Parts: sequence; C-alpha cells; structure tokens
Amino acid sequence: MAIIYKNFRASVVNILPLLILYYLSISEIDTHFSNMFEILSFNLQIIIIYYWMLKNSSVLGNGHIFFAGILNDVVMGLPLGISSISYLTVSLVASYIRQVTVNISLFTDWFTFLLAIFFSNLVYLVLILNFTNLQISYVDVSYNAFFTFLFYPFIWTIFNFYQRIMILRNDD
Amino acid sequence: MSSSRDDFGIAIRSALLKKGAKQKFSLVFLLIIATIIFLLDTYQFKVIKFTKILINDGIYRLTNISTAPLRFLPIINNKITETTFALKQNKELKVELEKLKNKEFQVEFLKNQNDSLRKILESDVKIKGKSILAKVLIDKDSPYLKSIVINRGSKSGIIKGMPVVDGNYLVGKIVEVNYLSSRVLLLNDLNSRIPITFGKESIQAILSGKGETKPVLEYLPELYEPYGNQTVFTSGKDGVFLPGIPVGKTEMDELNVQVRLFSDPNQLSFVTVQLINLNKDNF
Repeated sequence: MAIIYKNFRASVVNILPLLILYYLSISEIDTHFSNMFEILSFNLQIIIIYYWMLKNSSVLGNGHIFFAGILNDVVMGLPLGISSISYLTVSLVASYIRQVTVNISLFTDWFTFLLAIFFSNLVYLVLILNFTNLQISYVDVSYNAFFTFLFYPFIWTIFNFYQRIMILRNDD
Repeated sequence: MSSSRDDFGIAIRSALLKKGAKQKFSLVFLLIIATIIFLLDTYQFKVIKFTKILINDGIYRLTNISTAPLRFLPIINNKITETTFALKQNKELKVELEKLKNKEFQVEFLKNQNDSLRKILESDVKIKGKSILAKVLIDKDSPYLKSIVINRGSKSGIIKGMPVVDGNYLVGKIVEVNYLSSRVLLLNDLNSRIPITFGKESIQAILSGKGETKPVLEYLPELYEPYGNQTVFTSGKDGVFLPGIPVGKTEMDELNVQVRLFSDPNQLSFVTVQLINLNKDNF
C-alpha cells in the first residue's frame, strides 16, 4: 500500500509540468495581460517546453508537445500544426543545447533560450506570412518574445525549486 | 574547422533522431507530421476539414468546462474582502451580513443576466431578418487574433460570413463554422475589413481593425476633412452585412479617424447571429 501511494505521489509530481502545458494550451487562461499593461504578454508554453526539455526531457516528451500545439491551434483559431511546429522547434533547440553543453547555469540557459525564441518565432512568422492570409502585428510578436525572454529567469527559479522536490520525492 | 562542423552535425542529428526511454516518436517524425497537418489545413483538404470540425467542437466544450471554475475567481475575491470586513463586526452581524450579501450578489447577477437577455430579445425586433441568440463560449484574448467562439454552428443554420451583433450593434462576422460552434472575427482584429457609411454626406469608407480596442477608418475621400462624434453604420455595399447596423462613433486621432465601438469586444457574453441569405460567391 505504501509503495502504491509512493508511486502515485511521484507520478503526480512528475506529471504536473505536462498538465500545466496542456491546461495552458486548452484553457482561456493565457499570459496576455493587456487589461493591466497594454504590451505585456509572454508565452509560458515555450518557457515550460524549453526548461523541461533541457533539464529532464522525460517529463514532457515530444509527442505531448506536438499534441499541446495542436490543442493550442484549435483554441486560438490558428491553422492546425503551426504551434506544434513552433513548439517542436523550441524542443529541437533545447535538445541540441543539451547535447553540446556540459555545465548548465541560469546564464547559459537564459542566453541559449534567446536562440529558441528566435527560431520558434521565425518559423511561426515564415509559416503565417507565406502560407496563410492572416495578418499579424510584428510589434505584438516582438513584445511577446521580449517578455518571454525577460521572464525566463523567474520561471527558471521556480522550476528549479520544483525539480528539487521531484528528485527528493523520487528518492524517498 | 572540419571537426567543429562534424560535432554540430552529430549534435543536431542526435537531437532530431534520438528517442528517450519513454518516447515513442522522434522529433523529426513529429515535425514532419506537424508540417503535413499544417499544409493539409492551409490548403483546405476535405479530410482535415471534417476532422477539424469534430476536433473543434470537442475542444471548445472542453475549454469552456476547464475554465468554468476560474470565472468564479472574481466572486471568490469579493467574498474574501467582505469576510475580512465582517470579521471586525460581532459574530451575529457577520453571519447575517454574509447571507444578505450572497443573496444580493445572486439577485444582481440574475438581474444583469435578465436585463442583457431582454435587451437582446428586444433588439431582434428592431433588426430585420431572422436571427439566433448565441452564448460566448471562449473569448480568449490572444495577442495576435481578436475573436470569440460561440455555441451555435451549422446545426443552427449558421454560415461563414454572417454578421454578428450585440443588441443592435455590430461586433463582427462568422469566419469558421463547426457543427455545434462557430468562431466570430471581431471588428478590432487586424484581419477585419467592413464597408461603412457615416455623416450627412453618406461618406463611404472601410472600417479596418488594427488589433487594438478601436478600429480605424480607411479609404476616406481625398478632400474629406474628418471630425469626431459621428455615428458609423454598415453600408451593406459588400452584400454581406445589412445596411444601417450601428457600429460606433468616430473619434479623432493624430493620424487616423478611429471608431469607438458601441459594443465593447472584451465584454461579450451573449451575441446574436443574423441568419441572412449569403451568396457563396462573396467568399
């Protein structure tokens, strides 16, 4: 009984980042605070994907990232697959950085996150502009990218703390 | 030089092809699948179109349910404030006050809802033609797209392009129709273009969304000298919107003539879809 409880507790702790990713993709709650501050919006999904693919890729998994992207497209009314490609690009950058980096610190994470945001938004813009009739505001996309980059250290600190809890729970 | 290029190639190949212990698909496989889905959707293939309609209906309902508890957050917030205030009073008064407040909120909520529904019902009489009342399921305020999802679809006779009004005022048009739900593109979206008319001279222009709260007027006559506080109506020139639906009032900006919409696009809970006969050639 104790083993079942322990395993259940560990799986709940491990699955939480994935649940947050899905919930953000499917729900109306987004990180767009135009009511409070006109230009403030950031993409928490990208931060979650980048952090967990870099630190512990087994927490999310590329299949879930793909599916979360599809859900996000449906809710946002974007062409199907565009968010998936954008998220998988972030995952690709994170996997590449994981392969080539030995020492990981907040600074290296933050700097390389810039590459992930750049490629993710580049792919997003290229697809929107070349394959759809949608118009998007470059200023809004830029602000979104800027604040996503700016908030990374705060979320990094929270996730780092959470990851310690995950390790402790697994070692119980 | 050659060695560093090799290292880069190995790392990229590993990132694309390597699967984790619990992962079933490699990154490159999923990227290819996502690209195929994107292309099928972009070029409107029938298979993906029908699949999308089914997925949309399911996910919109799920989104509506998943966010339902969050709509009570402001109410919970109010209750906490009230409770803090009531703690300063004696126990009897606190209990009595809380009960009264709860009832008052419920009455106010029902009264507001009743008023808004009554307004919508009255407005149906004023605007000619058949119409259908719809509830807003999702009003996710995206930084890129300004749209809402309503709980009426092709089952209720909705067709792409139909105008959507809040009371008597235009709020947007249908851009995506599923069986049980539809997406409405709001007037302030970057992709929204509506032919309008205003003023004594019946000036014709295009109301163009800018992604901000107030859309602007474009294609005004060359010698026109703009001034504010004029009511803007749909002109019906496109053959889609009925002429004479009020949209908003003009406001002067430094460079543009903005339109303050009569209906706030961020405050929609019920809307009415005008079931007009649309010629498919318009789209």
